[in-house]
Amino acid sequence: MSEPAKPISELLSDRFGDRISIGASTKGILTVEVDTSAWLEVCRSLRDEEEFSFEQLTDLCGVDYLSYGQSEWETDDASSEGFNRGVEGQGPGRFNWADRPEAEDLEQRFGVVAHLLSFKHNRRLRIRCYAPDEGMPIVPSLVDIWSSANWYERETFDLFGVVFEGHPDLRRIMTDYGFTGHPFRKDFPLIGNVAVRYDPQKKRVVYEPVEIEPRVGVPRVLRDDSRYKTDELDQAAEAAAGEAAVNGSAAGEKED
Amino acid sequence: MGMNNPVPLDSVDDILRPSADANPLLDRGMVTTSLDALLNWARTGSMWPMTFGLACCAVEMMQAGAARYDLDRFGVIFRPSPRQSDVMIVAGTLTNKMAPAFRKVYDQMPNPRWVISMGSCANGGGYYHYAYSVTRGCDRVVPVDVYVPGCPPTAEALIYGILQLQAKIRRESTIAR
Repeated sequence: MSEPAKPISELLSDRFGDRISIGASTKGILTVEVDTSAWLEVCRSLRDEEEFSFEQLTDLCGVDYLSYGQSEWETDDASSEGFNRGVEGQGPGRFNWADRPEAEDLEQRFGVVAHLLSFKHNRRLRIRCYAPDEGMPIVPSLVDIWSSANWYERETFDLFGVVFEGHPDLRRIMTDYGFTGHPFRKDFPLIGNVAVRYDPQKKRVVYEPVEIEPRVGVPRVLRDDSRYKTDELDQAAEAAAGEAAVNGSAAGEKED
Repeated sequence: MGMNNPVPLDSVDDILRPSADANPLLDRGMVTTSLDALLNWARTGSMWPMTFGLACCAVEMMQAGAARYDLDRFGVIFRPSPRQSDVMIVAGTLTNKMAPAFRKVYDQMPNPRWVISMGSCANGGGYYHYAYSVTRGCDRVVPVDVYVPGCPPTAEALIYGILQLQAKIRRESTIAR
């Protein structure tokens, strides 16, 4: 008890060495990147060893780092035509299923992030690893270490397509039955590829190719509606006013 | 005292108060009416909705059913089974995954049946119109009688929608054609 407690970052780097790299600490939660090859081993140590004692996994999710750090909505120019934000870009709201872009080769495209909680030390930790192959991202499953990882990993598989090796029941959990694709990937179109409607002949709900167009990039201000046809409207109004004046004076004369 | 207990604008049970002109039957304690008026009176007076809360609109629907607005006053009693329901209030976001189940519930309701689409999502997808997983309006799946706008509509708006549906039912004629 005499020795002051070491910070968690030192404990971790002393214990795991170059298998991990310590990242930033936000809101008191340290982020640690773990080698995917050491993912299971490090996690087991984090749970079992007395100085860590992370008994609980509170969250697990995926991250798609495609187009990470790029923003479509930054404004650095403005003219009478409008702002230049959102003019270019490859966001999911801009393409449909047929035109979806080929994902560029990106090392460490998919990350898996887990949040751990230690009741014993009143401490939280965020650990992250990257799937080595972006075409078929595979990460070892944590279900054997924390059983709460089960549905989180199913969710991550469903939405990002990350395969968890060793998971006992890796099925989709959220998307529709027979769904194609992984909707949280950045190259998945926002509008998806199917829409449903009831078919009165078949007497059941049928799936059809989506019929709407991607919306991002479509101007929200319609420049060709009546408000912008001021010349024609003004002329029409002037003509009408002139006519009314002539008629009005004629009626006035009659009354007299 | 002082609380505003809203009074329905139209008299709901007007067939029991026939016009005040001299009606000898009325003096004898009898009432005459058309069968259609009687049927519509019965139908509008006990519209039992299938509870179909899907999202936050359901909270407003609960509010409409709770003590302050009290849908029981209109004979609206929520039912947990489509077999006992006359009207379905679609309160919330209908997703593609839910759509077949939603249609099945509608098909299980006995005729005559009505549908109230409550809120932007049920009306046309609303906030999620461009999303990959949301049905762009519940009228793609079932025929809708009354659309209640809002995100979510207030409990008052839902009650107004129910009164509109009552007015619509009153215009129907089952026997006389």
